[in-house]
Amino acid sequence: MPSLIKFMLRRLAAIPVTLLLITAVLYGLLMFSPATARAQLYMPRGQSHNPNLRPEVLLEQIIVSKGLRDPFPLQYARWAGNLLRGDWGWSPSLRGDVLEGLFVRTPATAELTLYSVILLLPLGVLSGVIAGIRTGCWQDYLFRTLAFIATAIPPFILGIVLLTVFYAGLQWFPVGRIGMADQYMIQGADFRVVTGLLTVDGLLNGMPALSLRALWHLILPAFTLSLLHWATLGRITRAAVLEELDKDYIIAANGRGLPQRWIVWRHILKNAMAPALNSVALSAAALITGVYLVEKIFALPGISEFIVGSVRGAPDLPMAMGAAVYSVLMILPMMLSLDVLQAMVDPRLREGLMS
Amino acid sequence: MLHLRHGLMFWQITLGVLIIAFFLLLAALAPLLAPTEVSPAPPLKFAPRPVESTRGVSARMPLPPAPGLPLGTTQGGYDVAYSVVRGVAPALRFGLLTTALTGLWGCILGAVAGYAGGGVSRIILRVADAFLTFPAIAAIFIFRTLWMQLNFPAIPHVVLQAVTLLHLDPTMLALIMFSWVPYTRLMYATVSRLTGTEFVLAARSLGARPTRIVFRHLLPNALSPVIVLAARDIGGMVLLEAAFTFVGMGSGLPWGTLLVAGRDWIVGPGGNPLTYWWVFLPATVALISFSLGWNVLGDGLNAYLKPQERRRTISRWIQRWGN
Repeated sequence: MPSLIKFMLRRLAAIPVTLLLITAVLYGLLMFSPATARAQLYMPRGQSHNPNLRPEVLLEQIIVSKGLRDPFPLQYARWAGNLLRGDWGWSPSLRGDVLEGLFVRTPATAELTLYSVILLLPLGVLSGVIAGIRTGCWQDYLFRTLAFIATAIPPFILGIVLLTVFYAGLQWFPVGRIGMADQYMIQGADFRVVTGLLTVDGLLNGMPALSLRALWHLILPAFTLSLLHWATLGRITRAAVLEELDKDYIIAANGRGLPQRWIVWRHILKNAMAPALNSVALSAAALITGVYLVEKIFALPGISEFIVGSVRGAPDLPMAMGAAVYSVLMILPMMLSLDVLQAMVDPRLREGLMS
Repeated sequence: MLHLRHGLMFWQITLGVLIIAFFLLLAALAPLLAPTEVSPAPPLKFAPRPVESTRGVSARMPLPPAPGLPLGTTQGGYDVAYSVVRGVAPALRFGLLTTALTGLWGCILGAVAGYAGGGVSRIILRVADAFLTFPAIAAIFIFRTLWMQLNFPAIPHVVLQAVTLLHLDPTMLALIMFSWVPYTRLMYATVSRLTGTEFVLAARSLGARPTRIVFRHLLPNALSPVIVLAARDIGGMVLLEAAFTFVGMGSGLPWGTLLVAGRDWIVGPGGNPLTYWWVFLPATVALISFSLGWNVLGDGLNAYLKPQERRRTISRWIQRWGN
């Protein structure tokens, strides 16, 4: 599929532009604060600086040496260069390197996001298609009722309710990422960390029971996260299916005597998938916001620790900027893969006929 | 009048309007329903604590509903009923203000992109695509970090005025700055379609300036899908704020704060939602019905603004109920 590869390359070429724009806006926001605030981005690591130095003097030194009173483009270029070199600054409240801290927390977030998307994509499309081809039947009413309820319940309240019922009440599901005993096993010497995703690593280390337990921990958060997006996706798929049903090619296919099942799953599904996937791609950022909230509620040690764990502490600019840029870096591949999926089902997209 | 009558034939619009009117009434009657001795009225209030209910029980416990305390108190002694009633006005203000400002500047950008076309539209859409990859929660974190250390002379005067006049807080500002993309995309799609039509061509050939064409001709025609989106967003923004407050980074509207205060008695050790229902249920019901009202209204407007669906619903209504 050469056209698909061309499409992918075009999308890949857009990524640096996006990153440039977002980081420029972020650093532009910093320009509204005094130079001393921006100096926090360049705080020396740990206690390597002279402890007898007064903070004002230290900040002034940084401002002068990093040129934090220069015009915006110069300062921005310097900061962006540091990001590219992997120097994301030192966070005082974390007492550690920002990028390192982000890397350590990535697997938990990635795992939750991955399983939520895996859960919601097929279910959303499937239920949307079924509701669409059975308009007016009980399947349609059931779907619409469920979707209505799902959109009405805010995810964090759903999270609390699930916690009270299944964790505090029935004690069917645990919270956190993994149990205490497994935690020791993972930190043990003979456990090789390959991907960092516990469910995958468990299998790779020949411990399927561990994978299952990790999956068990993920069920409630993944369900909480995907319910709302499932409803939105299902509704859009349903609307797209309804639109396709009226088109001439369906009448033609019916006239040729193709079996109904073939028409639905070969023709309608492919045409209705593109808008549905597009809607998921557009709400990828909202999904990540949801991931952070859900992580916090279910006590998963993910990137949310960076964002919501430290707000009450002293202002920590390197952490804030690092988490923001990193979130964008996580969302971009997600959007890219959804775009590619979309182009796979819709040739018009990959030929560039629709901008 | 006919528009109103036809609009109310949609059950979604009727239900949405009823729910929103109920909340407006609650906000207007707040001084009667939740009287207070101090002025201005605080959004959360310590409940008067009768002696017998504190004896033998830790003051940190939530108190059950009792005469004078219709919905009991939360941990820390906050009066739940008072806070729910007094929370309506802040929630309305937050939702309406955030959505209005987001929509305003999103729409203007979209309209400019749609009307100008060419390079301008490509730049605006590119920027919009970039903003689409940015999660609101990270923006809020940055705004909250920067909030205490701003360099006021560097900020444009208009922004500063708006922030002080409208009492914007970091959460609102972050939401306004980072959730305008849907409006821009929607507006761009409609306006660029309308720009090719004859009436715009006619206006242009009469010598109308671009600003006049955009504001007098294009915006009014393109506004209806935006209104649908905005109606749904108002409820959504308030929910989002409650969620952020719950994790400790919202602007602290009363409903979210109530949930925070009640959290330990619901999911914490020793917490039980069936025993301590009053610390949790009232605020949840308020939040859900608030967002539901705006959502249902949005659904109804969506149906109402589609000519075919409007005709079908109105004729069905007249068939059943007479004229």
